[in-house]
Amino acid sequence: MNQILVIAWREITRLRKRFGGGASPVAVLLLMGAVGLSAFALRDTVSLGSGLYRVGVSGDVPVIEDSRFSVMEVEADGGRALLDSKSIDVWIDGAEVISRPDDKSQYAVRALKQYMEKAELIRVGNSFAEEDAFPLRVGINYLNPYQPPAENQQEGGETVAPVTKPEEVIIPSLTPPPAPFTQVLVALIYILPITFISIFFTSSFMDEKVNRRLTILLSSPITPFQIILGKMLPYAVFSLATTALIAVLTKGDVALALAIFAPTTMFIFAIYLMVPLFYRTFKDTTFIAMLVTTLTTAYLVFPAMFTNVNDLAYISPLALAVKMYRNEPFGWREYLFPSVPMSAIFGFAMFAGTRLLNEEFLMGYKPITRKAADAIYLMMAHAHPYLSVPLWSLLVIPIVYLTQVVFLAFATNLPVGLILGAVLIASAFIEEAVKSVGIVVLAERKVVTRFRDILLLSALSALGFLVGEKLLLLISITVVSQASVSSALFGSGLLLLIPLAAHFIFTAIVSLLAAKTKMPYMLALVIGTVAHFIYNWTLMGGGL
Amino acid sequence: MSPFWAVVKKELTSVIRDRTIIISLLIQLFIASFSSALLLGMLSLYDSDTIMRFSGAGIKIGMVGESQLSAFVRQRGLTVVPFDSLEEAEAVFFQNGVSAIFVIPEGIADTTEIKLYLPDNEAVSSIIRMVVQEPLKQFENYLREQNGIEVRYEDLKGKPSTSFEFIYSVLLPMLMFFPAFVSGSMSVDSLTEEVENNTLQTLLSAPLSLNAMILAKITSSVIIAILQCMAWLSLLRLNGIAFENTGWILLLALIVAGITSTAAVLGAVLLKDRERSQFIYSLSLLAATAISTLLNASPITTMSRLAVGDSYTSGWNVAVFAVFLAGLYLLLWKTSRRLAG
Repeated sequence: MNQILVIAWREITRLRKRFGGGASPVAVLLLMGAVGLSAFALRDTVSLGSGLYRVGVSGDVPVIEDSRFSVMEVEADGGRALLDSKSIDVWIDGAEVISRPDDKSQYAVRALKQYMEKAELIRVGNSFAEEDAFPLRVGINYLNPYQPPAENQQEGGETVAPVTKPEEVIIPSLTPPPAPFTQVLVALIYILPITFISIFFTSSFMDEKVNRRLTILLSSPITPFQIILGKMLPYAVFSLATTALIAVLTKGDVALALAIFAPTTMFIFAIYLMVPLFYRTFKDTTFIAMLVTTLTTAYLVFPAMFTNVNDLAYISPLALAVKMYRNEPFGWREYLFPSVPMSAIFGFAMFAGTRLLNEEFLMGYKPITRKAADAIYLMMAHAHPYLSVPLWSLLVIPIVYLTQVVFLAFATNLPVGLILGAVLIASAFIEEAVKSVGIVVLAERKVVTRFRDILLLSALSALGFLVGEKLLLLISITVVSQASVSSALFGSGLLLLIPLAAHFIFTAIVSLLAAKTKMPYMLALVIGTVAHFIYNWTLMGGGL
Repeated sequence: MSPFWAVVKKELTSVIRDRTIIISLLIQLFIASFSSALLLGMLSLYDSDTIMRFSGAGIKIGMVGESQLSAFVRQRGLTVVPFDSLEEAEAVFFQNGVSAIFVIPEGIADTTEIKLYLPDNEAVSSIIRMVVQEPLKQFENYLREQNGIEVRYEDLKGKPSTSFEFIYSVLLPMLMFFPAFVSGSMSVDSLTEEVENNTLQTLLSAPLSLNAMILAKITSSVIIAILQCMAWLSLLRLNGIAFENTGWILLLALIVAGITSTAAVLGAVLLKDRERSQFIYSLSLLAATAISTLLNASPITTMSRLAVGDSYTSGWNVAVFAVFLAGLYLLLWKTSRRLAG
């Protein structure tokens, strides 16, 4: 513990030196200026389409203050000509709105409709008594569609069914239908600083790797685990402090926000720990960091947009934050659903980090695929392949799971008919890859050579994967009641033996082809994927 | 080949060899496709027009009591099933005959309180609330008229504009300016790497001035940016997205890439190490975006306007940015010797 703190302190000193002196006031000023200005400039340009429409007005027209419209005064007799020459998209002549039939003009009309609706509401609300201006109240009640009040109806006496929640009274024009946009944006504010801070973590790691300070540290009596944890500690504490600060500023529940975002912070740090381990030059790091940032942000934001629409939204902790801001309760299972895979990935990354943090691996200059193979070899305790292979298959399940979700997001680009097929192929590919890669790496290093051993390892790997898969399925089924997608991804065969046999056969095919026939691993993987896909497809066809 | 172009060529080949550019392309493709998917997903869940197009007539609304609301709900394209009492309506509701029930009380007073019964299932109920929002608002306006309040501009229609606004004000500017952002970042890396590896002195012993060497680095990153922009424009064309003023759009993208690279190099010259330069570069970019929006001279707006063929936007608006670039480069020209010292 003491040593971890020593490393952490050293890291803080390093940061202070780096940003102390000349650059510091400039940086702080720039930071504050940039944040303040962006908040100010973007406060009312959150709408799309800034500056897209030109509107001509003549006569008595309310002031249009919307970044989408550029408004100009036109003469009452010149408006038509300007409209026809496409100099303006819409002409508002008093209470009348004149447009062209073409698309651009019609888009402008719709945008104008949205704006005017709001503007008129404000005008009406300010100039008339409230009961006249807002004459309609809608009391919304909810009925449980699955529990009709059965007994009374059978007797013929008709009774009104009990409502499930207290009545909610709304004024339609003032109460937009529920959409989590704003809350998702607020929740996103939490992610940005964490990402920013973890980039510094990566940068520092990279820097020490390049100037070989890490090598010196490694030769001292400190374990790699202590080094990683110590270097991570200041940044992690800083991230959590920012999270608490944001929660205070946005009037959220600080303890709850910390509980929600602690696994997310660990997840982001886990990913950023991998970057400097695998890449050598700064340029690589810049780009990989960018890629990682976009992917993780997408992964976190996308599901949260569908909070309350689909329970699958809970794979992102942002969905929990959205719930928090709406003062809606959520249970332990909803909390664990995103948090367990993220924490598991962190644990896995820490394990990988301690295994990979040695000079040979850090300084070796090899193509990334070779580097990955080295990494997997180092992570497998290669003395006990019969233990490490199934364990590997079991432990990478959360990663497989998250990758498949990202695939799903990608696949939504495709035409509807292709989505399922594409997701199935991608899932089959990633599953086959993780199950066989350990065996192939071991075979390549001659740790296992015999036909029989490879077959046995394939069986063990399939078993490990299946156990992990079913465990995850158990968690997700209890949370995600309606997510048929999830069960399609993870298979829902009732008999465990059939999927086990299937997993075994595909893994054996890939491993044997790659290890014994000297076929390129990629090609072997494609063959295994095709077989797996056909199996999944027929299984789903039978199920449907 | 002149030494200038030799440096440009060296920079370009190193980018291609490192395959970093592929990652950069991947990021952009991912952001573009992801944000489009997000928009599409959002529209299909939160935009009543899109919901109506896919499943409008299938949504049946039970209506107890008579009012103008029935007509508005029908106008929206939903099916209205009239009932005499709430009990009857609920019986049908529990057999999945209707998805929601409106109850309109007898005799409409000044303030009308109607009831809406929804299934206790957030996915279904939020969709229904979305599609009945417009009829409810119309009904509200109708009631306002009864009270003698006239609401103007209430009969506007138009076409749903979200996709249009997204493509021209988000997607296109993002695809045109993201390469510029990456270019700046690459210039910082390229220059600070020379400083940190002590290769700068070697490079300067070639028959090439410091300023020419820096210009070569900027030129190569601008070339990379503009090639990406061209690729994105052709991809957008292939997807059937039309835009005007292609020449000006590319020129604007080129100038902005020049501005970001010059600014990035300026930062690197002053700070000399990568970590701080990248940090300051990202921050100043953020600040520049905010300031240009405030001054109403945002290149993003200019880009959108050029693409939709706005008749008040022309090459002159692009020229403003060229002047700024010239000024910025002059500043770099004057300060660059601090790098060697």
